[in-house]
Amino acid sequence: MIVFASALTFFFVNLAPGGPGSVMRFDVDAQQREALIKRMGLDRPVEQRYAEWVGGAVRGDLGTSLLTDEPVSQRVGERLPNTLTLAGAALVLSIALGIPIGLIQALRRGSPLDHILSLLSAIGLSVPVFWLGIVLILLFAVSLRVLPSAGVTAIATDTPFDRLRHLVLPAVVLASTVLPTVVRFMRSAAIEVLHEDYIRTAAAKGLAPRVVLLRHVLRNALIPVVSAIGALVPRLLGGTVVTEAVFSWPGLGRLALEAAQGRDYPLITGLTVVVAAIAVTTSLLVDLAYTRIDPRIRIA
Amino acid sequence: MTRLGYAALATLAAIALLAVAGPLVWTIAPEATNPAQGLLGPSAAHPLGTDELGRDVLSRLLHGSRVTLVVGIAAMLAALLLGVIVGALAGFNGGWVDALLMRFTDGMLAVPAFFFVLVVITVLDKGISTLVFVIGALSWMPVARVVYGETLRWKTAEFVVAATSLGVPGPRLLMRHILPQAIPSLVVSATLGVAFAILTESALSYLGFGVQAPLPSLGNMLQRAQVYVFTAPALAIYPGIAITAVVLAFNFLGDGLRDALDPRRRR
Amino acid sequence: MSLGLHSFLFRATSLMFVATIAVTACTSTTPPGASTAPSAAAGPVSGGTVTIPIGADPTLNPWSPNAFVESLFINRAIFEGLTKPGKDLAPAPDLAESWTTASDGLSWTFKLRSGVKWSDGKPFSADDVAFTFNDIVLKPDLGAQNRASYAAVKSVTVVDPTTVRFDLTRKFAALPSFLAYNAGILPKHVLSADPLKTTSFNKGIPVSTGPFKVEKYTSGQSVSLVPNEHYFGPKPYLDKVVFTVVADPNTQIAQALSGDLQIMILDNKAAVERVKAASGLVVVSRPLVQYYWLSLNQTDNRFTDVRVRQAFVHAIDRQAIIKSVELGYGSIANSPITPALAAYYDPSLASKYPYDPAKATELLKAAGWTPGANGVLQKDGKPFQFTMDVGQRGVLEPVNALIQQDLKKVGVIVDLNTMEWNSYIQKDVVRREYTATVNWWTYPSDPDVFPYYHSSAAGKGFNIPGYQDPKLDDLLVQGQSASDLESRKAVYKQLQQYTSEVLPYLFLWYPQEIDVLSSSLKGVPELGLRDAMHYLGEWWLAKK
Repeated sequence: MIVFASALTFFFVNLAPGGPGSVMRFDVDAQQREALIKRMGLDRPVEQRYAEWVGGAVRGDLGTSLLTDEPVSQRVGERLPNTLTLAGAALVLSIALGIPIGLIQALRRGSPLDHILSLLSAIGLSVPVFWLGIVLILLFAVSLRVLPSAGVTAIATDTPFDRLRHLVLPAVVLASTVLPTVVRFMRSAAIEVLHEDYIRTAAAKGLAPRVVLLRHVLRNALIPVVSAIGALVPRLLGGTVVTEAVFSWPGLGRLALEAAQGRDYPLITGLTVVVAAIAVTTSLLVDLAYTRIDPRIRIA
Repeated sequence: MTRLGYAALATLAAIALLAVAGPLVWTIAPEATNPAQGLLGPSAAHPLGTDELGRDVLSRLLHGSRVTLVVGIAAMLAALLLGVIVGALAGFNGGWVDALLMRFTDGMLAVPAFFFVLVVITVLDKGISTLVFVIGALSWMPVARVVYGETLRWKTAEFVVAATSLGVPGPRLLMRHILPQAIPSLVVSATLGVAFAILTESALSYLGFGVQAPLPSLGNMLQRAQVYVFTAPALAIYPGIAITAVVLAFNFLGDGLRDALDPRRRR
Repeated sequence: MSLGLHSFLFRATSLMFVATIAVTACTSTTPPGASTAPSAAAGPVSGGTVTIPIGADPTLNPWSPNAFVESLFINRAIFEGLTKPGKDLAPAPDLAESWTTASDGLSWTFKLRSGVKWSDGKPFSADDVAFTFNDIVLKPDLGAQNRASYAAVKSVTVVDPTTVRFDLTRKFAALPSFLAYNAGILPKHVLSADPLKTTSFNKGIPVSTGPFKVEKYTSGQSVSLVPNEHYFGPKPYLDKVVFTVVADPNTQIAQALSGDLQIMILDNKAAVERVKAASGLVVVSRPLVQYYWLSLNQTDNRFTDVRVRQAFVHAIDRQAIIKSVELGYGSIANSPITPALAAYYDPSLASKYPYDPAKATELLKAAGWTPGANGVLQKDGKPFQFTMDVGQRGVLEPVNALIQQDLKKVGVIVDLNTMEWNSYIQKDVVRREYTATVNWWTYPSDPDVFPYYHSSAAGKGFNIPGYQDPKLDDLLVQGQSASDLESRKAVYKQLQQYTSEVLPYLFLWYPQEIDVLSSSLKGVPELGLRDAMHYLGEWWLAKK
C-alpha cells in the first residue's frame, strides 16, 4: 500500500505544472532557470528519477529536499514530533471528553441535556475548522490575552508550561473534528449495551449501580468505540493540515502544504510515505487493542 | 422519522429554494464591483452590506450557496457512483476480486487523504470539475463499505437465490434485486456525504485550492473574508453561519433518516 | 411539540450567532495592552530583545536560489555588501569606503574598509569579494540568484587586499546601487567547497560580517541573532533580535496586538485601522521601489495600437483600486520610476491618464473598435474579449476583479483565469503563453530599468509584454552609460516622458509599505523594513 501511495504521489506530482518554487519566480531569468533545473536533476525522465528515489528510500534515504538542500528525512523528522504531539493531544482530549459525555448522554437519553449535547456535537461537526480556529484566536489571544496565538513554544523561554499553553488552542480546534463522532459512537454503543439483558441481570442481582456502570457497561461499550477511534485517526491526521496553517504550528501538515505549493518533489513523496506509514501503524495498533479488549475475539 | 429530521428536511428545502430561486429574485450581480461602496454595513440597497470591493454580500451569499450546494451534491454523487461500483463488485464476485477491492478500500481509508489532495489538486486544472472529482475520490470509501456489506447480506437471501435458479443473469440480479435493498443505507450515506463535501470544499478554499474567484462559493468567501477579520468580521460570519447551517441540516437529516430506516427499528 | 423543537433550534442558532458577534465586538475594543509611555530621555539605551515575524524558514545565503521572500530580512541584517541603501536610498558605504569609475566607464574600483573580520574571527579581504563574484555569481551553472543583474560584469580583479576592480563588458552606471541590493559578500574560507548548498551555513549558523550574527536556528520556529563581537563598527544597542516563523498574516497581527512582536510589515492593509486603534503601537507608511502594471502581450495585434493601451489606462479607475485595495497607501503610476527615487522621479506625470471612460471609448473608436451587440466592442466582426491570468498572491485577485469590471463598462469583456502562483509563473513567465496579466516589479534603488524594457529582453527575458522600440532602447542604453548624476537625471526624465506616452506596460500604481512598530522601538530609519534591516545596529528599545 505504501509503495503504491509513493508511486502514485511521485508521478502525480511530477505531472503538476510548474516547478520547484526557487525556479518559479518572476525575477529568475531563463539562463538561471536552466542552470537550476540541471542542478536539481529535473531534466532527466520521471521514471529514472522515481527509480533512483525508490533505491534510496529502501535504504532509508528519502532524498534531498529541492527547496532547502537538506535531506528529506531530516526535514520530516524535525516536524514529526510536533504533529504527533498535536494529534496525540487532540486524540487524548477527544477520548477523555468524548467517552464520559457519550456515556452521560446514553444514561440520560431523551432528556433536554441529551438534546443540547447532541446539538453541540452536531454544531461541532459542522463548523469549518479554520473558522473555529480564527474565532478562538480572536477571543483568547487577542481579546483576553490568556493564550498564545501561534507557534509551539514561547520565544524567550521554553518551559513545559509554555509548551502546554501553546498546545491548548490548536489541540482543542483539532479535537473538534473528531470529538463529536467519538461522543456519538459512545452514546449509541452505550445505549445498545444498556438494553442488553445482562445489564438488567446485574442490576437485578443488586450490584451497586456504579459497579454495574463501570464494569459492564463501559467495558462492553468501549469495544466498538475503540475500533471507531482507530478509523478516526486518518481524519485527525488530515485535519492537521488546516489546523497547523491557522496556528503556525510547525508540523507535517504545514510542511506538506509548503511542499505542494513549492513543488518539492522528493519532500512530497517522502512525506506521503511517512504519513501513510503512521496511519497504517496506528490502525494496526488499534486492531491489536481491539483484540485485547473484546473477550469474544480472545475466546475465538 | 424524528421531528428533528423533518425540521432538517424543511430547512434544507428552504435553503435549496433560496439558492435556486433567490438569484432570480434578487438580481444584483455577485461580481458587480463598486469600490467606492466597499465594506458598508446593512442598508436598504444591500441588506447584508457590501464586501471589500463593493459587491453585494447577499447576492454573493445566494450565488455562493448555489455553487457550494452544486459542488457538494455533485461530489457526493461521484462518491456514490464510485462506492457502489467498488462495493457491489467486491461483494457480488467474492474471491480475489473481493479481496483486492476491499483491501484497496481499507488502504485508502487508512491513509490520511488530505495529504493526497494537496498533491493531486496542484496537478489538475483548478475548477469545479476537479474539485468534484477530488472530493468524490476522498469520500467513496465508506459508501463502498456500506454497499459491500449490503451486497453480502442480500446475496444469500431467498429471493435472490430463487432468481438465480430462474436463470436471471448476474448483473441484472445485482441491479434489479440486490442493490435496491441497499438504497436506504445509501440515502443516509448520501446526506452525510454532502455534509462532508461542503466542509471539505470550504477547507480547500481556505487553502486556496477550491472554487476560484470571481465565482463565489461559501468556502472562498470565507477565505477572502479572513483578510478583513479585524475590520469587518461580518464578512466572515455570514458564510460561516451558512456553511454551518447547511452542514448541520444535512447531518440531522442523515441521522433522522438513519433512525427511521434502521432495520432494527422496523422490528 | 414540534414548535418547541423549532424554537429550540432557533434559539440555539441565534445564541451562536450572538456569541460570535460578541466575540468580534470584544475584539474591536482596545485590548488591555501594556501601554508604553515613550521615555522622556532622548538618548539610546542598550538592552532588550526585538521580535520580528517572517513567513517561513529562511535560507541564510543571499545568493542561494532559495533565498527569497522571508530570507531577505535576515540576510540583509547579517551579510554586508560593498554598499548598502543610504537613508536617501542612494548607495552608501558598507564594506567599501569609496568607489570610482574609470574614464571609459568600463570598470569600477572599490576601496574596501580595513580591519573587518568575519564572525568567526578570520580577517575579511578583497579575496572574499572576488570569490563571491567570480566563483559564485558569475558562474552560470550554479544558478545563483540575481545573476542577471550582473550581466555586464566580466570579472572581479583583486588589485590589493583592500581594493577590488569590477571589469565590465559595457558601461554600467548603476553598479554601486545594485551592489546594495541583496548582494552580501560570502566568506571564501568557509564556502569555497560548496558555495550555495552548504546546509550547516544556509540553514544553520553562517559566518558573516554584519553587526549581528546568528546564534540559533530552530527550524519551523525561529532564528535568533546576537551581536557579532568581531564587528568593525560600534556595538549594537539590542541584546538580541529574534525572527519568528509565523505563516498566517492574521496571526502576525494578533501577535502585534498582544505585544509579542515589536515590528512587522502590515501586508494585510485592511487591518490598519484596527492596528492604529491599539495602544502601544505606531503605524507608519514607508516608500517602496515598486510599481504594479498590466501587461498586454504585444504578440497579440489587438494590443499593438498605442491608442488601445492608452484607452485601457483611462478606463481603469486606478485611484479607486488604490483606495480599496491599498487603503489609500499608494499613488498613481505613469512611468517605471517610483517617487521613492526622489532624485529622478518626475512628478509632472502624476496626473496623466485621469479616469475617463468616455475618453477611453473615444480612443478605442479611433482604433477601430465600435459597439456591437450588448454594447461589447467589436472590430471586423470579432468581439473584444480576452482572458487575464491571475496569480494567487497578495492583492492580485481583487485588483483583477476591479479591472474586469472597469473594462466591462467600456465594452471590453475580460475572463479571469485564477491560478496557483507556481503554475502561473510556469505559464505566463516561463512559457510566456498569456494574453494579459497584472503583476509588479520591485528593483534596486536605481532608475536603470534596462532588463524590463529593452527589446533584447523580450521573449525569454524580463520584458514581459515583449515591447520592442528602438527609441526606448536608445534611452535605456544612454541611462546606463551616463556617469554623472545630472546627465543621468536628464536621460531618465526623457525616459519617463516617453514610456508614459507609449505605455510598454500599462502603469497602475506605486504602493507604499505600512509598518507597525511597538512604540518603544526607536532608531529605525524611515525606509522600507527590508532596507531598514541594514541599520539593525542602530535600533534600540526605550525603557518602559
